[in-house]
Amino acid sequence: MTRRDIECVDLAKTYESPSGQVDAVAPLTTTFTEGQTTAVVGPSGCGKSTILRMIAGLEAPSSGTLAIGAETPLALARRGALSMAFQDASLLPWRSVEGNVALGLKLARKPAAPEHVRKLIHMVGLAGFERSRPAELSGGMRQRAAIARCLVSEPELLLLDEPFAAVDALTRKRLNQELPRLWRDLGTTTLLVTHSVQEAVMLSDRILVLSARPACVVADLVTGSDAVSAQVEQALQEAA
Amino acid sequence: MARWLGLALAIVLWEILARLNAGSFVIAGPIAVADYIYMNTGLLGRALGATFQAAVWGFLWGNLAACCLACLVVLFPRTERVVNVFALLVFCLPLVATGPILRVLYGPGAGPQITLAALAVYYTSYLALLVGLRAVPQSWMDLVQSYGRGSVTTLLQIRLRASVPYLIAALQIGAPVAFLGAMVGEFTGAERGLGVLTLRAMRGLDVDATWAIASIATAVSVLAFQVFGRLGDWLQTDRPTLLLSAAQTKNGPAAWQRVLTAAAIALLVVVVWQVLMDVFGLNRFFAKRPADVWTYLISGSNATAARETLFAALGQTLWLTFPGYFAGLLLGAGLAAAVVILPGVAAAILPVAVALRSVPIITTAPLIVLALGRGSLGTITIVAVMIFFPTLVACLQGLRQTPGQVHELFQTYAASRLRLLRLAQIPAMLPAFFAAARMAVPAALLAATTTEWLATGTGIGNLMALTASTSDYNMLWSAVVVLALIAMVFYMAVEVVEQKVLAVYASEQVRR
Ligand SMILES: Nc1ncnc2c1ncn2[C@@H]1O[C@H](COP(=O)(O)OP(=O)(O)OP(=O)(O)O)[C@@H](O)[C@H]1O
Ligand SMILES: [Mg+2]
Repeated sequence: MTRRDIECVDLAKTYESPSGQVDAVAPLTTTFTEGQTTAVVGPSGCGKSTILRMIAGLEAPSSGTLAIGAETPLALARRGALSMAFQDASLLPWRSVEGNVALGLKLARKPAAPEHVRKLIHMVGLAGFERSRPAELSGGMRQRAAIARCLVSEPELLLLDEPFAAVDALTRKRLNQELPRLWRDLGTTTLLVTHSVQEAVMLSDRILVLSARPACVVADLVTGSDAVSAQVEQALQEAA
Repeated sequence: MARWLGLALAIVLWEILARLNAGSFVIAGPIAVADYIYMNTGLLGRALGATFQAAVWGFLWGNLAACCLACLVVLFPRTERVVNVFALLVFCLPLVATGPILRVLYGPGAGPQITLAALAVYYTSYLALLVGLRAVPQSWMDLVQSYGRGSVTTLLQIRLRASVPYLIAALQIGAPVAFLGAMVGEFTGAERGLGVLTLRAMRGLDVDATWAIASIATAVSVLAFQVFGRLGDWLQTDRPTLLLSAAQTKNGPAAWQRVLTAAAIALLVVVVWQVLMDVFGLNRFFAKRPADVWTYLISGSNATAARETLFAALGQTLWLTFPGYFAGLLLGAGLAAAVVILPGVAAAILPVAVALRSVPIITTAPLIVLALGRGSLGTITIVAVMIFFPTLVACLQGLRQTPGQVHELFQTYAASRLRLLRLAQIPAMLPAFFAAARMAVPAALLAATTTEWLATGTGIGNLMALTASTSDYNMLWSAVVVLALIAMVFYMAVEVVEQKVLAVYASEQVRR
């Protein structure tokens, strides 16, 4: 199997808006190793979502190159090998939880698998809400449904943009234990944006700390040692 | 319960009015109307059946066309400009004049009524669908795109479903309009239908019959409106306020480019017209080509006389249309604003206004003419009434768009109601007002020409009736072309004013 590392070389993004140019991401050069989970932390508005959106192929980089193995993000997405959880859950209001999760399979061009869908709904703690509409769910429940939608297609690349922001501490903890197991089994490459240092340390193999806008890397840390938390906190202080 | 009480009260009032005016041959009371309906059940039933059938088919075809056009534009955004202009042009065709032409093109049968009903409904549905298909949060589209799927998947999985509430709102408005279109089609020479009975009743000065038919048409329209309202409730769709947004105004192309596009589109229209006539091999005697109209109005030997006749008639019509148009708009918007100052009244008025909005005014035109006479006042009133209700409803809905927080914000400053109205609510109402003003342009011309055709014997409506009966197809086609152009020019003029005003008072509402 070829390695599917994500290679970013001088990746940068400048938004053109009526009120002027906004430099969101300064030239970023880094590699996200296949099968690894990387947490991206940084101050609000620094460009984290933008980085994820570029890797998902939703936003064209203003300059620099981006390759996932030998593929472009679009090619990966077309194979149904990429899924992304958005900062807002983006559930379709007319579909039930079950329907929204099943949509993940449908959009990835994979055969329907009701059992698998149900299993994931259980895993994210939404058992009993299969037939509920998003409007009947709390913010955190919606985010969990969105996570299930992401996972259902068993993607090679998983992009999670603050997926637990509105999830309560207890569920969050349980998810934090189960998710890594799941994506380790699948060999998924995961990028996780989060505001919680604790979560970053718990879930990921590596933590990327970004500066205020335009985002550039201020610290690139490997988790494992006890000192990491403190190091991340300190880097964040410097970034802000 | 209160609603039924109100209805009963209105009927009693109607009867009293009729009794007071007995002998003037203007008002037939509910008892006389019921009696007439009872005595003529078979006749009215058959006529209603014919009209209803034509309206249903027209409704289906019109909405199908609207769906196809809207999907086309969403899938291929580059086609939007051309499709918009074509759609508007067809919408601006004067229905009363198109009727007789369709009559000779189709031969006998319900074809013309169905086509007119379709023409009457499709534009509202098209605009509504376009808004609905596009009113999709960016993140839903991102979701589809993040799986590498394209615009067809977005259309099927997201946009179509998201546009359902908008479609239902449009269907609700369209159902009575289809009925109106079918009746206008019947005015121009059908064998059966309520429109035919209306003509007969008017010619015979049969007051009971006129009122009976108008009552039936009103009842059917209100019912159709309610049915689609229920359908919306049953489907549990939220009911979006239908703001039919202005045709796209990319502030990109320079003036000369726009003139060039307009010229290209005009050329395209002429070509399509010619090709349509030739492909179907339609007889040149009644199926005129662009060149015929050109010769008749511009280059022919009798062109000057033809122009004089046409423009004299047109002048008469516009002279009555304008006051009616502005009166309807002002009264509608004014009442909406007044109603808001008096709290609670809006809540009571809106359902009534929404129901009355669905009354096919044209079918009551004979009544207004009966009451106000065949002079200019009758025509002006019909035009004003035709425009009043949609404007009122649109403005009330627009006023309700002011977000609750804004109200609270003003409250914290203890701002007066008038201040709130001026600073927050009127700007919130403006987009709805202008949408109504735009859609009202063809409606005003329709009301004026139909009244002239049916009753007053003046203006371009009468000219078209005359030329239709004397088979002067050159003049008929010329009238269609000129009226369509005028409607389009005014529609666009309103659009220009709209953009200028909204740019100042509601800049976030101007689509860029
Ligand atoms: N479509 C856009 N047009 C113009 N500017 C944008 C656009 N999207 C984002 N930006 C700007 O780019 C910068 C980075 O945005 P981004 O959403 O990537 O931040 P973020 O790190 O995800 O923030 P948060 O933690 O609050 O989600 C912000 O300053 C934002 O104003
Ligand atoms: Mg973000």
